[in-house]
Amino acid sequence: MEASGVVTRAGLSLRSSRVDVIQGGVAVLAVLFALFALPQLLSLFWIDTSTVTVIYSIAALGVGLLVGRVGMISLGQVAVLALGAWVSAKLLLSTTLPYPIVLLASGVMTMVMGTLIGLPALRVSGLYLALVTLMLAGAITVVLTVTNFPNGGSGFLGYNDNYPGTIRRPSIATSDPAFFRYSVIVAVLMFALVLWHLRSKPGRAWVAIRQSETAALTAGVNVTVYKMWAFALTSFITGVAGGLLGASQGKLYTFQFPTQNSVILFAVVLMGGIYTMWGAVIAAVLLWVIPALFTIWGIDSQVPTILFGVGVLQVVTTAPAGIAHQFPRDMLKLGKLIYRLLRRPATTASSS
Amino acid sequence: MPSWSSFQPFIPIGVALGGVYALSSVGMVVLYRATGVLNLAYGAVGAMGAMISWSLINNAGVPSGWAYLVAVVFGGVSTLLYGVIFGPALAARDPLVKAVGTLGFALILLGLMTVLWSNSNITRSITFPTDNSGFNIGAIPVEWTQVIAFAFGLVMAIGATVFLRFTKIGTAMRALADDREITATLGVPVRRVEAAAWFGSGILAGVSGLLLADLDTLDPSTLTFLVIFTVSAALIARLRSITLAFVAAIVIGVVDNMITPINSITDYRDMTPFVLAIVALLSFSRGRQYSFARGGIR
Amino acid sequence: MRKHFGWRVRIPVALLVVAVGLTIATSSFGKAARHTATAAAALKCGLGTGKPATGKPIVLGAIATDQTGTSFTDIPNMANAYFKCVNANGGIYGHPIQYKILTDQTVPSAVAADANQLINTDHVVGIVGNTDIIDCAVNGATYAKDGYFLIDAGIAAQCYASPWSATVNMGPRYSGDGAAQTAILHGAKTIVIDQSNVPGYQGNAAGIQLIAAAHHVKVISLSANAASLNGETEAERIVQAAGSNGAADLIFTPPVAQKILQGAQTLHLENKVIWTCATPCNTDSLASSLGPAWNHKLFVNAEMNDVHDDRGADTQLYLSVLKNYGSAVSGGIGSFSQFGFTVGQLAVKALLSIKSHVYTKATVNAAIENLRGFKTDFLCRPWYYGHAAVHLPNNTDYTVWPQNGTMRIVPGSGCLQISSFDPEVGQIRAIEKAQGL
Repeated sequence: MEASGVVTRAGLSLRSSRVDVIQGGVAVLAVLFALFALPQLLSLFWIDTSTVTVIYSIAALGVGLLVGRVGMISLGQVAVLALGAWVSAKLLLSTTLPYPIVLLASGVMTMVMGTLIGLPALRVSGLYLALVTLMLAGAITVVLTVTNFPNGGSGFLGYNDNYPGTIRRPSIATSDPAFFRYSVIVAVLMFALVLWHLRSKPGRAWVAIRQSETAALTAGVNVTVYKMWAFALTSFITGVAGGLLGASQGKLYTFQFPTQNSVILFAVVLMGGIYTMWGAVIAAVLLWVIPALFTIWGIDSQVPTILFGVGVLQVVTTAPAGIAHQFPRDMLKLGKLIYRLLRRPATTASSS
Repeated sequence: MPSWSSFQPFIPIGVALGGVYALSSVGMVVLYRATGVLNLAYGAVGAMGAMISWSLINNAGVPSGWAYLVAVVFGGVSTLLYGVIFGPALAARDPLVKAVGTLGFALILLGLMTVLWSNSNITRSITFPTDNSGFNIGAIPVEWTQVIAFAFGLVMAIGATVFLRFTKIGTAMRALADDREITATLGVPVRRVEAAAWFGSGILAGVSGLLLADLDTLDPSTLTFLVIFTVSAALIARLRSITLAFVAAIVIGVVDNMITPINSITDYRDMTPFVLAIVALLSFSRGRQYSFARGGIR
Repeated sequence: MRKHFGWRVRIPVALLVVAVGLTIATSSFGKAARHTATAAAALKCGLGTGKPATGKPIVLGAIATDQTGTSFTDIPNMANAYFKCVNANGGIYGHPIQYKILTDQTVPSAVAADANQLINTDHVVGIVGNTDIIDCAVNGATYAKDGYFLIDAGIAAQCYASPWSATVNMGPRYSGDGAAQTAILHGAKTIVIDQSNVPGYQGNAAGIQLIAAAHHVKVISLSANAASLNGETEAERIVQAAGSNGAADLIFTPPVAQKILQGAQTLHLENKVIWTCATPCNTDSLASSLGPAWNHKLFVNAEMNDVHDDRGADTQLYLSVLKNYGSAVSGGIGSFSQFGFTVGQLAVKALLSIKSHVYTKATVNAAIENLRGFKTDFLCRPWYYGHAAVHLPNNTDYTVWPQNGTMRIVPGSGCLQISSFDPEVGQIRAIEKAQGL
């Protein structure tokens, strides 16, 4: 039996410097492409869809960090995202603080709230932790349904039925394409922050914890502190993502954060892959781009839910490292197969 | 604070819903004890069964008795199929992984239901002939469906306890819960015992789905996520004690409904199962790291 | 430890994938098949030539909420049914209407993306038939900036309090007003409003408060989570709040109203209060699922007429179009499809009024804003757009109740004017008077 991780670990062997260079290069190219080419190529529909995809990739990164690196499952991350969105909406509507400060503040506030709420949850592990976070997400959703999101009203809750205000965007990024670029840059910073953690002391501690908490304890790793650290880091980046979300839409509604979305976010993160940061990007694409395609094609937008369910079963049974790990290998195999077929058309390519 | 008389009518409603939650959580605990799987698709299976029987009654003109039977059989068969296909593959894995697998199953069923019954403009409902007949206890009206729901929960709780204690297959299930490998070496047909647990708990899921569709609502996503009430009760029972699961389920049902007339907190009453389960979970783990795994800290 | 599982797992997973693929294929195939309407007898839609339109299409668009529990796609789907009938009958002077319907699940970013798709990618010349919980709030600025005048079925307050939107319905607030007025007419001393805790709904109570105050009636406002409420619990809660001589004013979608009313029936509360309901309850499927126990015991403010009793020309055409082209209209006969049909008629009337036969965003939206004096059996008064900061052309309507599985007009109820004690209705009446609408 493995430790509390969902799946057996894989892909760690990839961490050779050559792969690092290739991955880094691809990442830089992808970011440059997203910043400069995408807004030119895409219609506004796809720019809006890409913005929310970028924002959710940060939330997915948080889930992937918890599950893949520390072996803790949180089924409540969409509720955490909603907390971040609430804080940022409140600050953007009732103060004139500069936007980056608001993002930072909502990250920090969400981190504090997330850690305070999560602290008792850290006492339990495995299945219990997953269920406690699911229950907490449900409870947060009930509270948010009653309080609603700030919309320019007065009082602490800042909600008023009749005069919904619009959550402002940074003055340098008021248009949809500009805000998309802004979100990409913030997302890159969040990914870099997580990468920096993974490459330094906390990352090594998390690896130890995921392998075996007992062994980590024996090796002198303060398990509780590093678990809490992971929780705090995840809450921080998810809070920042919430801050982007409110401004990108202008309005926030409770029913865009139902509890079931936390479960679905977890499902797509598993499908995307929890051992590389690419998995987070794939997860967000699955979550937003696929349904948007279906909407355009006129197919029932609930169909992806079925696919996510199949994906989860596939991941837990056969492909533990998800699409990010599996896809390049499958492509490599396919490439080799085609190559072999072309080179020796007479022989049957039996091995795969 | 409202007067006692304004609380009274909510008691039978809460007890009846609690009875159905009890029915489900007993099924959930039995399955967990036998296979180590916390079936999070429990609500989705019941929901799908209820939707199928609604279609049979309203679109195919099947007599309601047969349609209900189909729902119950669907619950048993679909759960059994999942168990037979994915149970062995995940048998050696952590309980967490097993639960995540059922989450995938739940999403598939939920997606299928929303696609197959995509029209939410139609008002769907399942009504039993016992809905509108009943009696009064004092000033409190009680309908027969409520009595049936509670009775089902009670009978199943007692039945499951007796079954686990006194039948051969029940003893095998308890043995499996304690140690799989040793039980298998002792010559217990593990697969067959597990299949029985999957099928039996699936049947209970089908029955609960129908009862909840009548007592609560026939809506795929509502019924799917009512599993949270069931999970809460099962968690309070630490996924072991059937008696505790029964009591917890009744308490959750009653508290959730009895809060209704208290205006200051009525809007927060949906938090009942979450709050009770969180408090219970955290109190179990006081002073130690609780884990499912045998032999200590994970 | 990395285990590979063989056929035992892979085959079932493959099977699942195939099953899902088939589901998708059949669902999209089914939709495609449904779009080909059966050859209908010549219906007098639009120009009524009986010849299909083959010219360059005129592209219109719509956005509708479509999520579990709340689907408003019947409105654009019915408008589309009418457009198909028009296209089969000469279209708009030879131009068929092409209608793009996008859906959303109440996600602001997706609703904004939908509007951008319609406006900037599909280049629709008009946006009609929108019925979305958050569209007016999220996209209002876009519509105003880009010069679109919507004919929609509104929900949020912004759909009414805007120069760029005129609705065929009156929405939860004013329909809730009408239901409260009926309750007062029948002697209620306390009115309990119960509605979904969806943002924006709480404002619905404001009008009822003022109307009730003018009649010395007490108002208690409740809200509930539509997805999770229990019918019996909710019914008992309402009846307790109402006390004696009370009334309930339900503002919910049909499935939720049904839960509460069936809960009331189980607890024998049908006669404890006067049950009233806003427009969504006006659907035969609700009447038939409630059964005869509710005959004449639920007053529904209907916004549109009852097609069983009224057999005028529009009603006849509505029923034929629904039968021949309306296979995608899942709810069948009811307020939603009546809204959609009226939207379709209004859009076609606007398009046919363009003398230049040039159909651009500018000409089409000018024609829409110029609509006035549109008479239909469905409405008590002629419908108009008009140049105004607020719009509520549908402000006088019918009251229906269930009768053996259908919704019928309450005998002797006639047309009910929504009370001007609701200040926004008063404002509308002043505008109507000033502009002679």
